[in-house]
Amino acid sequence: MLIAILKRAGSIAATLLGLLALTFFMGRMLPVDPVVSIIGEQADQATYDMVFHQLGRDKPLITQFYLFVRDMLHADFGNALFTGHRVADDLAKVFPATIELATFAIIIGVVVGVPLGMLAAVYRGSAIDHVARVVGLLGYSSPTFWLGLMGLIIFYAALGVVGGPGRLDVSYIDMVEPHTGLLLVDSLIDGEYEVFWNAWRHIVLPGTILGYGSMAYISRLTRSFMLEQLRQEYIIAARAKGLSKMRVIWRHAFGNIAVQLVTVIALAYAFLLEGAVLTETVFAWPGFGRYLTSGLLAGDMNAVLACVLIVGVIFIGLNLLADILYRVMDPRTK
Amino acid sequence: MTKLHRAARLLALSSTVLLGLGAGAKAATPRDALVMAWNLDALITFDPAQIGEVNGNDIVGNVCSSLVRFDPKDVSKILPSAAESWAVSQDGLTLTFTLRPDLKFPGGRTATAADVVWSMHRFVLLGFGNAANLTQWGFTKEGIAEQIKADGDRHVVIKLAKPYPVDLILSAAFANNDASMILDKEIGEKNAKVVDGKSDYANAFFKTGPACVGPYRVTKWDSNDVVILERNDNYWGDKPKTRRVIVRHVPESGAERLLLEQGDIDVARLLKTEDLTAMAANKDINIVQTQMHGFTYLVFNGTDPILSNPRVREAFRYLIDYDALGRTVLQYQGVPRASLVPEGAFGALDKKEGQPFSLDLAKAKALITEAGYPDGFTKKMILSANNISPTIAQHVASNAAKIGIKLELEQMADAQLFTRGRAREFQVQLVGWGAGYPDADSMISRHAVNPDNRVEAKLAQYPSWRAAWQSAEINEKAEAARMERDVGKRTAMYHEIQDYMMHNGPMAYMFQTVRAIAVRSSVKNFEISPFGVDYGSASK
Repeated sequence: MLIAILKRAGSIAATLLGLLALTFFMGRMLPVDPVVSIIGEQADQATYDMVFHQLGRDKPLITQFYLFVRDMLHADFGNALFTGHRVADDLAKVFPATIELATFAIIIGVVVGVPLGMLAAVYRGSAIDHVARVVGLLGYSSPTFWLGLMGLIIFYAALGVVGGPGRLDVSYIDMVEPHTGLLLVDSLIDGEYEVFWNAWRHIVLPGTILGYGSMAYISRLTRSFMLEQLRQEYIIAARAKGLSKMRVIWRHAFGNIAVQLVTVIALAYAFLLEGAVLTETVFAWPGFGRYLTSGLLAGDMNAVLACVLIVGVIFIGLNLLADILYRVMDPRTK
Repeated sequence: MTKLHRAARLLALSSTVLLGLGAGAKAATPRDALVMAWNLDALITFDPAQIGEVNGNDIVGNVCSSLVRFDPKDVSKILPSAAESWAVSQDGLTLTFTLRPDLKFPGGRTATAADVVWSMHRFVLLGFGNAANLTQWGFTKEGIAEQIKADGDRHVVIKLAKPYPVDLILSAAFANNDASMILDKEIGEKNAKVVDGKSDYANAFFKTGPACVGPYRVTKWDSNDVVILERNDNYWGDKPKTRRVIVRHVPESGAERLLLEQGDIDVARLLKTEDLTAMAANKDINIVQTQMHGFTYLVFNGTDPILSNPRVREAFRYLIDYDALGRTVLQYQGVPRASLVPEGAFGALDKKEGQPFSLDLAKAKALITEAGYPDGFTKKMILSANNISPTIAQHVASNAAKIGIKLELEQMADAQLFTRGRAREFQVQLVGWGAGYPDADSMISRHAVNPDNRVEAKLAQYPSWRAAWQSAEINEKAEAARMERDVGKRTAMYHEIQDYMMHNGPMAYMFQTVRAIAVRSSVKNFEISPFGVDYGSASK
């Protein structure tokens, strides 16, 4: 058992190191010079050379990578050039914003997507199946940017039922302590219910739009998994034995697709946690996706490598969680 | 009830829960706060010695007072600010500023000449790009201790390297940008760190919020999210009308517009032409504009045998439909101008003289034929993927194609565009530049003067060097104009240089930048000028 755990840990460490090395060396090939981002376009060569040296860019590549990994092991990702702050401090702010949004979205995706996919499979060819497929297709094919702006125009500007871009109205900024960075949670911890409702008003729309995409993905796969199960002989046998339709669907068919669904949901959640750049841009959501993209465009490898590491950890972590859930849910995998 | 009905009811219920719970009274901005939306992507520091981007300068201009300032109504004039007066010695080599007696930092300590001197010394010693604002006038790291000194608590004595015209040196070195902003020396010395054996002069500390004698102080900055300023109750000038200024990061024009129309912000700072045009008729919103001292222009690389021909470069100036672009994509963004000195700066050609070109394909064709390329040629143009650059580039490329010039467009991130420009790695580049001070010298000293054209000189701070263009005659004329103390003569010298550069220079200037800001009509006296926005004058 111990050997298995060690093997797994070694494989995870090697994957992460490989990911970092790949990103680092590819990043060095980018034709973007981070020195210019710091000193400004109008600076002279002496200033350029000084900052070039301060960033350690004059050292051999392999040394630069070694220094980065060494500092990273001490939880020091250095400073983000494009924000001027420590990367760790930046991430402590942007990542919770994305976790909050992604969690909201995945809840929508699961709560709506799974039943919708189930219904579509059970009533295959019926109106509900067609509706589910059209809804799913729209979720896949509508540009998030457009959906976001349309959503703002209708629900924020015309109807006034949701908040505008940003995580809070300005009147509520700084009213709660950042215990977790999740505004919905922090406001409840501090008993600031007005802030909670305001944060809710702001997350409803971007969360729902993001969740819509996940819902489309989850419902389509749920339908497909269910159709596969419903064709199996054991389902016919169960029905022939006199079990009710609901019991057969939920207990037998659904029980058998649950393991596959866990992987689908874990992947959907991982993609959401990577950050949704366009949604974050339209909704001025200070999240992880925008942070990573801005870092990339500025050639800021400190920020990019830290983000890549986090994305790697998320994917590996969620895969690990899915593996554990497999074992719990499906006795055959034990 | 059918299953379908049940499903529909469930869906309706879910929507009600999501949106119904979300419904509530719409929030207006607080009465004592001015709320702005802007793209804060580029903001990396508030240290005056380091700031290079527009939004950082704009905010710090409301946090830190300089010795002198530009008159917002006519930026070619200089007004007293933290210094109540100044005097120049007869030989023109010594400048003495007298500080106001009532300068106080937010903590209550009185600012003295020692604070001014420490602030200006670190400005040079830190050596960021901004240091050029002083070093180009002869201030050096080695000599700064002797060049800028305190005389008692209220006098700052500056030794100049040459007897520059006083208006020029005041504008370029002391009112300009952030060179003479007064920081708290005591706080700075206490928070300075040693990096690589050298002091950082509290750069790491001040970059999140400098301790200055200005109208506001920075109390919160979450990068890419929000900046909050609180009124400095010890401010020496008119008390700012609003207690707080909140700058929210909203990087998308459409979202900014919605926030403004809904009253969730008071000021929208980064709106695209289509959003500004759409709001022009809205009586709840005013659009305030000013002509900035910056340009959008084409640069031609002089190392290219075809582009080094002045006739070819001049041909490009006739490939631009200035008026059509000005009326459409550049409405609220720029006004046509071909001279390298912006209208409004000292020594600038007037509007008509500064824009003698118009779209003329026949003339452009004649010029490239005269240059020896009657069948045209193919070149690559690099440009920013942002904002209006792609539209302008497509416009130029489309007209160029009509006379046989094939321009292949390559869009890229700004950081990459600047890197390529600084390394001379381009043929044609579409780019922008902002003058540092409202004097013809600002543009001419960088865009026309090139002290050393050799590759190894690496004078990337000179766009003329980037374009591999040099004229010994222009270098001499620019230096002579810089030293001319007779206003009339200096103006005439600058006119001559502009006229020459318009036809022979390595850049084709197309548009002088316009800053357009949308403000809710409930906000009064929101004053903008080419070199700053005065937040404190605005009231609600």
